[in-house]
Amino acid sequence: MTMAARNIKTGIAERRLIEEAGAPGFSHAGWFDKARLAALDSFEAAGLPHRRLEDWRYTDLRQILEKRLTKTEETSGRSDAPAGLLDAVDAYVALIGAEGVEGDFSGLPEGAEIVPLGDVLDEGWVRDAMDASVFGDTDAPQAAAIIDLNTALLGGGVAIHIAHGVVLEKPIHLAFSGNGTRHLRSVIVLEEGASACVIESHQAGANAFSDFVSDIRLTRNASLTRIRIQNDDRSAIHLASDRIVLGEGAVLDGFLMTLGAAVSRNQSFVRFTGEGARATVNGVYALRGSQHGDHFCLTDHAVPGCESVTLYKGVLDDASTGIFQGRVLVRPDAQKTDGRQANHALLLSREATMNAKPELEIYADDVQCAHGSTVGELDRDAVFYLRSRGLDEASARQLLISAFLDEVFEAVTHEGVRDILRVIASEWFVQERSRHHE
Amino acid sequence: MAAVRETVEAVQDLGGERYKYGFSTEIESDKAPKGLSEDTIRFISAKKDEPQWMLDWRLEAYRRWLTMEEPAWAKVSYPPIDFQDAYYYAAPRQNAGPLSLDEVDPKLLETYKKLGIPLAEQEILAGVSNIAVDAVFDSVSVITTFKEKLKEAGVIFCPFSEAVREYPDLVRKYLGSVVPASDNYYATLNSAVFSDGSFVFIPEGVRCPMELSTYFRINEKQTGQFERTLIIAEKGAYVSYLEGCTAPQRDENQLHAAVVELVALDEAEIKYSTVQNWYPGDENGRGGIYNFVTKRGDCRGKNSKISWTQVETGSAVTWKYPSCILRGDGSSGEFYSIAISNNAQQVDSGTKMIHLGSNTTSRIISKGIAAGRSSNTYRGLVSVHRKAENVRNFTQCDSLLIGDKCSAHTVPYIESRNPTAILEHEATTSKLSDDQLFYCRQRGLGTEEAVALLVNGFCRDVLQKLPMEFAVEAQKLVGISLEGSVG
Repeated sequence: MTMAARNIKTGIAERRLIEEAGAPGFSHAGWFDKARLAALDSFEAAGLPHRRLEDWRYTDLRQILEKRLTKTEETSGRSDAPAGLLDAVDAYVALIGAEGVEGDFSGLPEGAEIVPLGDVLDEGWVRDAMDASVFGDTDAPQAAAIIDLNTALLGGGVAIHIAHGVVLEKPIHLAFSGNGTRHLRSVIVLEEGASACVIESHQAGANAFSDFVSDIRLTRNASLTRIRIQNDDRSAIHLASDRIVLGEGAVLDGFLMTLGAAVSRNQSFVRFTGEGARATVNGVYALRGSQHGDHFCLTDHAVPGCESVTLYKGVLDDASTGIFQGRVLVRPDAQKTDGRQANHALLLSREATMNAKPELEIYADDVQCAHGSTVGELDRDAVFYLRSRGLDEASARQLLISAFLDEVFEAVTHEGVRDILRVIASEWFVQERSRHHE
Repeated sequence: MAAVRETVEAVQDLGGERYKYGFSTEIESDKAPKGLSEDTIRFISAKKDEPQWMLDWRLEAYRRWLTMEEPAWAKVSYPPIDFQDAYYYAAPRQNAGPLSLDEVDPKLLETYKKLGIPLAEQEILAGVSNIAVDAVFDSVSVITTFKEKLKEAGVIFCPFSEAVREYPDLVRKYLGSVVPASDNYYATLNSAVFSDGSFVFIPEGVRCPMELSTYFRINEKQTGQFERTLIIAEKGAYVSYLEGCTAPQRDENQLHAAVVELVALDEAEIKYSTVQNWYPGDENGRGGIYNFVTKRGDCRGKNSKISWTQVETGSAVTWKYPSCILRGDGSSGEFYSIAISNNAQQVDSGTKMIHLGSNTTSRIISKGIAAGRSSNTYRGLVSVHRKAENVRNFTQCDSLLIGDKCSAHTVPYIESRNPTAILEHEATTSKLSDDQLFYCRQRGLGTEEAVALLVNGFCRDVLQKLPMEFAVEAQKLVGISLEGSVG
């Protein structure tokens, strides 16, 4: 495998990405430009990940991007509902694009800032958060190329800092939209005891290529709720990598909904560096057409006494492909770890595909770790039962799918957003329903 | 409480000796010149008096092997193997093809007696057990018992080299049809240099009247063992086959790269059980067998069934994935495994269930127990083909950790391309419960007995699937393998 990886040189897809990026979105004379050059070198040396790399066996990014060279728009479209619905949530809204960060943040309490990333690169907290050395070998060489790509071609992004003890009552809503190729980064740092809720909505246009990296640091006893809704155009490519570090007693409550993009790959690297921390990394994916959604979650229990929960559920219609790759790593001294991971998928059509690889890698003995994974179709007996109670087939299916996904929605702590997620899901079903009516 | 008593007795039997099969037999042997080349392969083929087609097949595999790379994806590490620094053929010197026990070198008979393998048919008939045995010593089969009795039933059970000579049509038809010569690095190496193994053919409608068994023994220093086993069950046939293996205790690492192919035609059933107890190396990880094995069953016929049961306690490094290709509609595959690793052992084992036919079912129960500084990985694949309707799979992988220096990993791949498939996978990892240990000790059991008892309980689902003769042996092995792991 390693030999094969070495043999493949930077090719046409890599060059095109570099050309498309053009001049850097901002200049920075200091450390970052050095980092940018180093990242460009290593990206060019490694090239885009491909299926011969174990972590990318189900998503051959190199091939996908090579195809994109010859392919113009085919199926596209999406519902604008999610963005519209989220407008109703009372939040500090920041519009994030290659042009910068827009929004009215005058209402933010003291100690909370939302600023363009390019403006604060020299701040210690930004630099620390962007320093990945804390991950050691966990964010694996196989992910490095994607992070390098982002660093090398970075066009902008947002930095959020919540100071010691500051509790944000209202959520922050980061609205990402735009067309073409974008390489953006978010840095979110919560200092000791701080608490915030960050909602991200993604609405990229037709044939867009988006590459996001989020560097998130939760210091001692900080608490972050993070909800992401990815609803890019169904011809877009969406890459998102999260690098999240949790200090002692910190709490992460994460949720991702994947609805859009032709090809999406979400990778989450969670690392515990202090005892007693807790991370929830949940997600829902609902795909149709020829959509391809890959969810990769690595939770690194580097210290004792932490708890992690990963629950993903997906519904796959038409010829869509769902992928779940999870890994719970418990390092030698991480005793008293509680790690749970589950993925459940429903195949709604004859052409749909689900690939799952839930892994446990455990080097400590006093742990409780479990994973479960199921793939199947809607229970025919349950559909039959509902129909015998007078529901038509489509309603019966819709009801069962809602019930199936609801377990994950239930865990979303922000009540308003939770209701919106349910509405988005039911809208997805309406489309499913109209298809089955015919 | 029978199980408890047996376990306790098993542990008492230990007498401090951990690997009781570690002796070696002083016997003159014929060896191929050291190293691997086309000449080595010609030497082996000539020794076995093989037809030209067999030699050609071997040479083609060898040429292919030269172009291949050693797989590196398994979670095991060992120093690079020098394939030139070993003997690829070693056979105890004796008259070719002994027909009866009287002609077998008494030293060999004594060896098998020490190993507890019944070769004298009278003993077996006297009711000790009902097993026909093929005894493979280094590169050759020394004796196969009950051949005549089996022949009456129409069953062919003979050394592989004999099958090549006597039943060339059958061998040519099925050899490499499940594990192609180009399958993977070690299988290709095996295809080039394989020495002996068993050949089993159960004709249509025959239920094999006795358990068949092959006992593999590596004796000679610096040799590799490359056995090849081929089992064919024709329509409606049934056979239960057991495999056992041991090796002397040595400081060097010896390579064992076997290939096992099973073919089950319509309504046929093959039950294949293994107790793998190669020398695991000492506490510091010196010596031991590298066990790189390719085992695959092909449920070629409708409603056929292949069941793998394995108890893996030996070997320094294990790389082994007994798999089922569920091609026939309604066929079913099973994999029951206990993998125990202690000291510096490394195990990367699991199964593949490839569902190609409709209404196929598979069941995977894997119990991994890691102690000492060992590493124990389950790696498995369940895949459902687009056209396979109503597939059902259930997978359960449990890992038990004893001590804080060992590691346990679970790497399952689940790939479904048909909505009617129902696939379930669950896995847990936990340590041996202090409460349970305390309870056992409080009832008067010693620590070692308590561990053996609890681990036997943990493995119970799999132990129950073993043929009776093996089950008792396996329970003892569980206790022995974990000796010294607690306290």
